[in-house]
Amino acid sequence: MLDIRNLHVTVEGREILKGIDLVIHPGETHAIMGPNGSGKSTLANVIAGREGYTVTGGEILFDGKNLLEMDPETRACEGLFLAFQYPVEIPGVANLYFLKAAVNAVRKYRGEPPVDAMDFWELVNERMALVKMDESMLKRSVNEGFSGGEKKRNEVFQMAVLQPRFAVMDETDSGLDIDALKVVADGVNALRGPERGFLVITHYQRLLDYIVPDHVHVLVNGKIVRSGGKDLAMELEKQGYALYNEEPGRARRAA
Amino acid sequence: MTAVAPLFSDPYRQRFAAFMTNRREPDAIARLRRTAFDRFTALGLPARQQEAWRLTDLSALQAIAFQQPADAVVDAEVLPALDTPAHRLVFVNGRFAPKLSRLHALPNQALVASLGQALLTHPEWVEPYLDRLPGLENHAFAALNTAFWEDGAFIGLPHGTVVDAPIHLVFYATGNDSAVHPRLLLALEDGAQATVVVEYRGAGRYLNAPIAELQLGAGAVLDYHQVQEESLQAFHLGGVRVQQGRDSQAHLHLLSIGAQLARTDLEALLDGEGAHCSLNGLTLVRDTQFSDIHIRVEHARPRGTSEQIFKSVLDGKAHTVFDGMIHVCQHAQKTDARQANRNLLLSKQAHANANPRLEILADDVKCGHGSSTGFLDPDAEFYLRARGIPAAQARALLVHAFANDSLNRIRLTPLRERLARVLADHLALDIMEAE
Ligand SMILES: Nc1ncnc2c1ncn2[C@@H]1O[C@H](COP(=O)(O)OP(=O)(O)OP(=O)(O)O)[C@@H](O)[C@H]1O
Ligand SMILES: [Mg+2]
Repeated sequence: MLDIRNLHVTVEGREILKGIDLVIHPGETHAIMGPNGSGKSTLANVIAGREGYTVTGGEILFDGKNLLEMDPETRACEGLFLAFQYPVEIPGVANLYFLKAAVNAVRKYRGEPPVDAMDFWELVNERMALVKMDESMLKRSVNEGFSGGEKKRNEVFQMAVLQPRFAVMDETDSGLDIDALKVVADGVNALRGPERGFLVITHYQRLLDYIVPDHVHVLVNGKIVRSGGKDLAMELEKQGYALYNEEPGRARRAA
Repeated sequence: MTAVAPLFSDPYRQRFAAFMTNRREPDAIARLRRTAFDRFTALGLPARQQEAWRLTDLSALQAIAFQQPADAVVDAEVLPALDTPAHRLVFVNGRFAPKLSRLHALPNQALVASLGQALLTHPEWVEPYLDRLPGLENHAFAALNTAFWEDGAFIGLPHGTVVDAPIHLVFYATGNDSAVHPRLLLALEDGAQATVVVEYRGAGRYLNAPIAELQLGAGAVLDYHQVQEESLQAFHLGGVRVQQGRDSQAHLHLLSIGAQLARTDLEALLDGEGAHCSLNGLTLVRDTQFSDIHIRVEHARPRGTSEQIFKSVLDGKAHTVFDGMIHVCQHAQKTDARQANRNLLLSKQAHANANPRLEILADDVKCGHGSSTGFLDPDAEFYLRARGIPAAQARALLVHAFANDSLNRIRLTPLRERLARVLADHLALDIMEAE
C-alpha cells in the first residue's frame, strides 16, 4: 500500500535521505530503527507532506497514487496518519473540537455528511477508554500544557478516532513509562488488521515486544542499511549501530 | 507647515457660525462650544509632524469637505440589537431617534436619556460633567466634538444605583460626507454599577468623531463596550476619557472592525486608591484599512491596578498602530500595571506598529509590558492539515483561537455571542462547529 522508490530528500541544500526503497503491504507493520539524525523523522515528515523538505529524486506511491503530489490534508483524507515525534501545542483550539473538525474533514472528502453528534461522542468515549485518557483532556487546548506522555497518548487517541489506513508512528514510545507504553501498543494493536499498515519509528526494542513488527529496517545516514525480521531489533539492542556507523562501504557489507 | 490648518478651519468656521445660529441651549453650553472651537482653531487638524500623529495619515480625510449632516430616517433592521432587554438609545447622524429607542423604568433617580433632553430637564446635573474630565486636552477632534456635538447620551446613576440591564447606545451615520460628533456623558456616583454597549455603524462615507466621558465614583463598577463597525468608507476619530475614584472598577472593551481609517485615543486617570482598570482591545482589519489606538493609563494614587490586552488581526495591506503609555505618578506606590499588545499578520503586506511605553515615577510598583507581532505558526497549521483539515480552515481556526481569547473577556453574554458570530463570519468559519 505504501511504495517508496529510490527517495532522495534534501533539507536546506543538505541531502538527508539518500535513496530509500521501502514497500509496505496491507496488513504489515514495519519498524525503522536508527541513530539520532539518521533521517527517520525526515522520512516520516516527507510521507505526511510537511514543508521544508525537497524531494530531489524518487517517488512515494500510496495505493498506487502519487503521494508527493498531494497536499497534507489530502494525504490525511486518503487515510494517512502521522503520530508526531513532537506534537504541536495549539492554544485556544479545544482538543474535542479539533478532532471533530478532522473527522468531518475526512468525511467531507469521502462525500459523507458530517458525523452525528451522538455517534461521535460514543466513538470518542470508546477510544478514550482504549488509550486510558482522561475526559478533561478533551476540553483543553490541543496539547497545551500536556506532559510529554500525555501528548503521545493524545496522538494515539487521535489515530484511534480517525482510524487511518496507514499510520507512521514517529517515536511515539519515547519518554513513556511502561504503562503508557502498553497503552500506545494497545492503541496500535487495536487498529491492526489485514487492511491497515504501520510504520513504527523507534529507538527501543521494548516497544516491539508489544507491537510485533513483520519487518525491521535499519536507517543509517539516510539509507536503509539492513532489513530483517523482528529479531533484528534484539540484535541492534545488543550491538548498537556502531557496526553501520562507519563509512558507507562497511555498512553495506554488514547488510 | 501651518498651511493645512487655516485652509481646513475656514470652512469649519463657516460651519460653526451656521451651527451656532438658532441653537437653543444654556449660555454656559454656548460658551463651552466657543472656547472649544477656538481651541480647535489654535490646534488645527493633527499633522504628522506631531509625535502622537506621526503614523496617522489624515490626508484622505483632509481632502474632503465634510458637511453638517442632514436628517435621515433609517430602517430598524440595519441597527444592531442585543438579544436581551436593554435600555436602548438610537442616534441617527448624531441626532436622537426616539422612535427607534426604547427606555425602561430605572431605579431611584437614575437618568438615562439623550444628552439634549437631559440638559433641558436636569441642567444642574449634566452641566458639571460636560467637558470636565482631564485628558485629550490637545486632541483636535475632542475640541471639535465639544464645539459641534448635536446630541448624545447621558447616563447618570446616583449613589449606590445598580442598573442591571445593559444600556445600549447605537450611533448610525448615513454618509454623504457628513461629519457627526456624538457625545456620551456617563457619571456613576459612588457604588453605582452599569453595563454600557456603544455601537458605531453607518453606510457610505462620513466622519464620525465621538467623545465619551466616563466618570466613576468610589466603588463604582462599569462594563463599557465600544463596538466600531463603521462603513468601510468611513473615518472614525474618537476619544474616551475615564476618571476613576477609589476602589472603582472600569472594564473597557474596544472592538475595531470597520472604517477605512479609525483611531481611538483613550485616557484613563486612576484618581482614587485601589482603582482597577482593565482594557481589552480587538482589532480586525483587512485590505487597506488603517486602525490606530492610543492609550494613556495614569496611576495617580496608590494601590491601583491596570491591565491592558490589545490584539489585532491584519490581512491584506492593513496597518495598525498601538501606542500605549502607562504613567505611574510619584505617590502611586504599590501600583500593578500590565500591558500586552499582540498582532497577528495574515499577509506579508500587512503592517503593525507597536509602541508600548512606561513612565514610572514611584519606586514600589509592579509594571510590565510586552509586544509581539508575527505570522501564524506554520507548525500548528501543518499539525491541523496533517489531520485532514483544509489549509484555509486550519488558518481560520488558528486566527479564531487568537482573537476569541479577547471576546471571552466580555462578560455580557449576548454581546459576546454576537461578536463571536461576527468574528466567525469575518473568518468564514462555521461557528456552530467551533462551539
Ligand atoms: N527542518 C530542518 N532544518 C534543518 N535541518 C534539518 C531539518 N529537519 C531535519 N534536519 C536535519 O536532518 C537530519 C536528520 O534529521 P531527522 O529529524 O530526520 O533525524 P531522526 O533520525 O529522526 O533523529 P532522532 O532519532 O534524533 O529523532 C539531522 O541532521 C537534522 O539536523
Ligand atoms: Mg526523529
